Amino acid sequence: MRFLVSLAWKNLSRYKRRTIITVIVIAIGISLYILVDGFLLGAEKDSERNLIWYETGAAKIMDRDYWKNIDYLPLKDSFKPSPALVNTIKDSGFSWTKRIAFTAEMFDETGSLPVKVYGIDTKTDENVFKLKETLTKGKYLKPGEYGVLVGAWLARDLNIKLGDIVTIRTRTRLGAYQVIDLEVKGIINSPNPMINKGTAFIPLSLADRAMEMGGRVTEVALGMPEWASPDKKLVLLTGKIEKSFPGLVVESWRELAKDFVSVSEGKRGGTSVFLFLIFIIAMVGISNTMLMAVYERVREIGMMRAMGMKDSSIRIAFLLEAGGIGFIGSSAGIALGALLTFFMVKYGLDYSSYLGEMDIGYRISGVFRAAWDLKAMVYAFFFGVIVSMLAALVPAGRALKMEITDCLKYQ
Amino acid sequence: MNKYVIRNVLLLLFLPLIPVQHVFARNLTGEEIIKKMEANQVQKSARLEGVFIITDKFGERKKTFKLVSLGTDRTLLEFTNPEEAGQKILRAGDEIYLYFPEAEDVIHLKGSALRDSVLGSDFSYEDLTGEKGLLDIYDVEAEGMETVNGRECYTLKLTAKNRKAVYPGEKLWVDSELFVLRKAYYYALSGRLIKEMEIRKVIKVKGKNIPVWFVMEDRMKKDSRTTFIINNIQIDVPVDPGIFSLEELSW
Repeated sequence: MRFLVSLAWKNLSRYKRRTIITVIVIAIGISLYILVDGFLLGAEKDSERNLIWYETGAAKIMDRDYWKNIDYLPLKDSFKPSPALVNTIKDSGFSWTKRIAFTAEMFDETGSLPVKVYGIDTKTDENVFKLKETLTKGKYLKPGEYGVLVGAWLARDLNIKLGDIVTIRTRTRLGAYQVIDLEVKGIINSPNPMINKGTAFIPLSLADRAMEMGGRVTEVALGMPEWASPDKKLVLLTGKIEKSFPGLVVESWRELAKDFVSVSEGKRGGTSVFLFLIFIIAMVGISNTMLMAVYERVREIGMMRAMGMKDSSIRIAFLLEAGGIGFIGSSAGIALGALLTFFMVKYGLDYSSYLGEMDIGYRISGVFRAAWDLKAMVYAFFFGVIVSMLAALVPAGRALKMEITDCLKYQ
Repeated sequence: MNKYVIRNVLLLLFLPLIPVQHVFARNLTGEEIIKKMEANQVQKSARLEGVFIITDKFGERKKTFKLVSLGTDRTLLEFTNPEEAGQKILRAGDEIYLYFPEAEDVIHLKGSALRDSVLGSDFSYEDLTGEKGLLDIYDVEAEGMETVNGRECYTLKLTAKNRKAVYPGEKLWVDSELFVLRKAYYYALSGRLIKEMEIRKVIKVKGKNIPVWFVMEDRMKKDSRTTFIINNIQIDVPVDPGIFSLEELSW
């Protein structure tokens, strides 16, 4: 075996140009795979974090009918969080906050835009959401004041500045038209584009009064520390809620952000095709190289067979040679991919000027950062080596099928 | 908009029957004035053709339509302008159905979807529904007399009896001679004026006064208004009740 390894290594070094070209092909394929995979993983992880921190929390408790018609944010299907419900949430280890969500039209002097308005409990919202940290101008809301925080893109579109008075027109829980004048207290620039482009926040007590909620809310959002996985606790809490509060439902962030989840899954499928194409290209390069290597050495093969070397040993020698190319190529690919990923993790790519406010499904405002995916790196490495070896099987087999005399006479 | 707009915009437009009232009734109460006004809107059937002109920041768009109504609860509207040709709105009581010929699909509007605007106008689908009269929804107070476009009108202040009224407050100007609505203001819960409607033309058909030119203006938006103009109207004509069915809608 040592002889075969030595033979394969010598052959690799004997045909340096051919080896280098093939290694480059494999390395580019592997590094592209690692980079694209890292980017997608990064976009997914950033989106998940931005969803949970700014949009959904870990989960939400809602009225069953509200959840069925959540696209319309029906205030009539709101509920009063009872002390028993609050105790159940606390016992399950979740932080929580109350919110009232409704649609409205926001007016300034020049025009109007549709907005989603959240009435937030200014004291407890921080327990679940990181909205306060994204305040770039002005001050956070005080309980009961006629103030509003608006997303940065919405503020730009309506030409709203700090201290301006804006008006929102909406419908109360019972269906009456309601118009409220609000002073712009702060501008929010969130990493989640959904918050920036069409969302406004007002104090919960003001929303309760203006929308005639009578203490009802549309949702109780649940939070978990970043390092903790809420899934198991959510299952337990869901069971308790279903048993004790049959009119309510608990939905995790994955259910609440189905649009993102489906986009993410769709893109993952599309990317798999893209990565498969990269590997096809690499495989064609390897096959071509090995084909040339084998046919260049048909006479050599004939001589080795004439001297008594077994066909299986010759086949193994070629496989080892191809495996060697795959090993070097994959190693170089991993190194190059890791280098590129390092820069993309640290600095990322700012797509904001290209994408603007285009909705591409991900909850990322502009800078796309990659993430490390060690599993994919290991997978790509072995894939590179194995594919290289498989690519050598066919040409080696064809040479071994020839008669020894034909091999020796082969030009 | 619910009962009020139903009565005072669409019903006046779609269900026109306003007998001439030469009643000199300056000492009527608010409720009596409303009753007389609503009595004018009762009719058996109507066929009409018209146009509504939507004006907003994007410019002006015209939508032509044909409309057939039977009684107070059945209306079938079909758009005839090229962009929306064949689109239909069927109102049967409180139910609203839309038909889109390109999709060959009938949609039953429910819940919040009823609040959507009809083709970007200042009217919503919700305005087409509702059976109750104004007196079921509002307390009415007669405030006095004012002149609107040269016509002497009663001014009425309407305050919603409960919190479910779409417009918690309204102010109406009712023609003191013809007992037709001439102008209306609609207020939000906070008291802010949000919409204004004006009837600019009333014609006489079969001895009845029919409003044929309405303007609904969004007072919170600059240059946002919807104008309804009826070009051709026949009232109390035979109408096949079968056309107000879902089966007929998609034919």
